Amino acid sequence: MRNLKVLFLFIFSALCLNLSAEDFEYKVIAKDLSHPWGIAMIDDNNILFTELSGQLRRIKDGTLEKGSISGVPEVLFAGQGGLSGIILDPDFNENNKIYIAFSSPDEGKSTNTLEVISAILDSNSLTNITTIFKASPSRRTAAHYGARMAFLDDGTLLITSGDGFNYREQAQDLDNHFGKVIRINTDGSIPSDNPYTGQDGALPEIYSYGHRNLQGIVVANGFIYENEHGPMGGDELNIVEPAKNYGWPAITYGKDYSGAMISPFTQKEGMEQPVKYWVPSIAPSGMTFYDKDLFSNWKGNLFISALVPGDVRRLVISDFKVIEEETLFSDLGRIRDIVTSPNGTLVLATDGPSGQLIRVQPK
Amino acid sequence: MLKKSLYLIISILIATVLVVLQTTLSNLIWLSSIDMPVSIGLVLNTFFADLIGMNLGGAIPLVGLVAAGMLIAYGVTLILLIWIDTRKSYAYALAGAAAILAIVLLMPLAFYNLDLIAGARTTLGKTILILCGLLSGYYFGSKIENKE
Repeated sequence: MRNLKVLFLFIFSALCLNLSAEDFEYKVIAKDLSHPWGIAMIDDNNILFTELSGQLRRIKDGTLEKGSISGVPEVLFAGQGGLSGIILDPDFNENNKIYIAFSSPDEGKSTNTLEVISAILDSNSLTNITTIFKASPSRRTAAHYGARMAFLDDGTLLITSGDGFNYREQAQDLDNHFGKVIRINTDGSIPSDNPYTGQDGALPEIYSYGHRNLQGIVVANGFIYENEHGPMGGDELNIVEPAKNYGWPAITYGKDYSGAMISPFTQKEGMEQPVKYWVPSIAPSGMTFYDKDLFSNWKGNLFISALVPGDVRRLVISDFKVIEEETLFSDLGRIRDIVTSPNGTLVLATDGPSGQLIRVQPK
Repeated sequence: MLKKSLYLIISILIATVLVVLQTTLSNLIWLSSIDMPVSIGLVLNTFFADLIGMNLGGAIPLVGLVAAGMLIAYGVTLILLIWIDTRKSYAYALAGAAAILAIVLLMPLAFYNLDLIAGARTTLGKTILILCGLLSGYYFGSKIENKE
């Protein structure tokens, strides 16, 4: 009788697991890519993507174009820097406008900074290139740029700006762009309803602060989801709200790479707690909110690509809490970015000098 | 020889402990400046946690890094002292300072200008760390002097 109960329990568990599981297969869309970093889907078979080493490339009608798109500004390809985030204008089909974030060398100096441009994709080149954001001050380091972007429903652009590694304390100050989420209009002007507009000593383009190295940002269902690398441990998923302080480096669940404590504190009044944190680190990178029907069991879930050890985390979020986490695609190595295609497939970029774009589709 | 080895080990340990202390204090002084509740007890707890963390839990064990730097610097000093007539305490103090200077300057070159020892991110921090090396080198040199 006891054995029978165990058998029923096993069958029931297997059925439950199957309810959330999806049968999928991989299809390599492009390979031998030089550090693919950011992906922007024009449609299912037309994709723009950046290579950290400085190329903007395109998959046209399902086939990787041999050359790269011309007119891309000079980038600093060093450390974690290079051609990074890319996003299409909400009206891209009418105006062919795109936005690119990259590490930009300061002319004649040994410093560099995060820069965001808007440009028109005209056939195979970028025209009308305009700098719409440049992080200030510049940094000596080539790390922690952030460099992801997302549009709010009102058409304003969110830009993630990392703490530059050596400048972490400045994430708590409002007079600089280290460790911030930035909100600007697409022409580079500052929305009048930004939280720090008119406040002395605060930069008006700041939307939230106290972040580290923000590697994923997505707007869905009225929420801004943002993920960021912690140091050794302490990677975070946050729901970003205007004028909120996310605590770095005053509170953290991670330790410094040297093994030292960055802060003995993990919480403080006035500083936000993450929706989820990871110890040890998973090194979260891109992020997408799945709102399609193709993988119906995944609808409404958040997908975070991760570099260490290399997989994708599917998160079910309810009431500001992660109630379920599943590790997927752990056989592909380090994954740098993930996006949802209009047809409901997922597109991943694997990291490194021989990176790939891979489509995850139903079997 | 045995005593010299012991002095060498103590010298390395002095530098290591001082570097850890500088890292702990530089972090906590900043935290205190933004009104985080830093108490004496917390300073002690954090220092001991850092002592273990930086030597056993980090990407590179600090004591190993310091030992490598000191061994090279002391070795070079030992050779130079064959020709240069000066007090050993001063010579090894300079060697200790040079060892830490090399660590705080060379590490960022290997890691995209990143200062992996947090206390070394400012000029003041670098200077204090170099003084830590100077003190440990002075200890080693003066002990050898006394022995001779």
